[in-house]
Amino acid sequence: MPWVATLARLLVGGVFVVAGLLKLPDPAAAVRAVRAYRLLPEGLVAPVAFGQPVVEIAIGLALVLGVFVRTAAIVSAVLLVVFIVGVGSAWARGLQIDCGCFGNGGQVAAGRTTYPWEIARDVGLLIVALALARWPRSRLALGTVLAGPSVEKELSRVP
Amino acid sequence: MSPDGKQGSSKRAAAQRRIAEKRAAEAAARAQAERRRRTVIGGAVGAVLVVIAVVITVVVQSNRTATSATAATPAHTVSNGKVIVVGSSSAPVTVDLYEDFQCPNCRNFEAETGKTLAELVAAGTVQAHYHEMAFLDTAANDKYSTRALNAAAAVVNAAGGSAFQKFHDLLYANQPPETGSGLPDSQLIAYAAQAGATGTTVQNQIKDLTYGDWVKKVTDQASKDGVTGTPTVFVKGKQLSDLSPAGLTAAVNAAKG
Repeated sequence: MPWVATLARLLVGGVFVVAGLLKLPDPAAAVRAVRAYRLLPEGLVAPVAFGQPVVEIAIGLALVLGVFVRTAAIVSAVLLVVFIVGVGSAWARGLQIDCGCFGNGGQVAAGRTTYPWEIARDVGLLIVALALARWPRSRLALGTVLAGPSVEKELSRVP
Repeated sequence: MSPDGKQGSSKRAAAQRRIAEKRAAEAAARAQAERRRRTVIGGAVGAVLVVIAVVITVVVQSNRTATSATAATPAHTVSNGKVIVVGSSSAPVTVDLYEDFQCPNCRNFEAETGKTLAELVAAGTVQAHYHEMAFLDTAANDKYSTRALNAAAAVVNAAGGSAFQKFHDLLYANQPPETGSGLPDSQLIAYAAQAGATGTTVQNQIKDLTYGDWVKKVTDQASKDGVTGTPTVFVKGKQLSDLSPAGLTAAVNAAKG
């Protein structure tokens, strides 16, 4: 099981790091992608478009490195729920947009939307993130090293 | 050994075991407290670092997307300089077009329906409002979307709407492949001259990306207008779903009343 959790960390963490990094080179496109959902007031569009990738990279790095795994898994699950709601609402309202998940401006040619796939992908990641929040112990986790000797280790010294 | 001695040694052993257990429990408690302390400190430091990173990124990205309030705006434009108008202002129907010079669907639309639109404009039925966008810049095409739209701004600034229309048609007829390297500035200058915009001012504006900030502004405005794909066409404010010549003609006739 710990190795499965390690794989789960690398999967969810890797996706978040990549998704965050791809949103940084073209900030104007990030703004358009957020605005395309027509959910946020104009004043919040740019701060969300610029700040969200940093949060994505932070929790992605935490998961990949294995520090604060449970917290990072919970935050990523919350973000994924927000993404699913956002994409679902765009779909329900008949908007013709790309989710902008991996850093483009939300534009899509008419009839070329991929909402079912985008939602399926996010639901899959959400399940993995929730499982990580429930069973965060894994191998190759930096947090285990940094935290110092564990309670179990001290108790095991009893003759 | 007497029975007393046996009893005494087992008592001693039990006492030693109890002491060892107590010490181990204390050590475990200390280890747990230490872990908790490290976790709290690490968590606080991590949270502060994330907040600092968010603030720095928001500031940096805001600067990267900022446009100058005094940015050059081409002449012969309306709506705060963001829209290029072609055709008679007494035309009964306004057609709004959102396009990107690098967008293949826009080229297809222009190839199929551009002639019909031109006829409606020439007949005085339609005034075309071009809302150009530039969102298909890549490193490979050397920001062709932006360079092409900047050149179009230089053309309309120098020679007006009908020259813009000719330049616009030339760029779609000769659109470079989306994954290609884009047209060079020298080719844009040649097409500008062919469309009727000549002179060193036009050439310099094309080479110097004089309307670079204006390109950013109009692209952002299109996004604010709710346009998320190109081509997007509105006939008298109503989005056109059938972009064929018949679809455009029918919508214009309906709008004409």
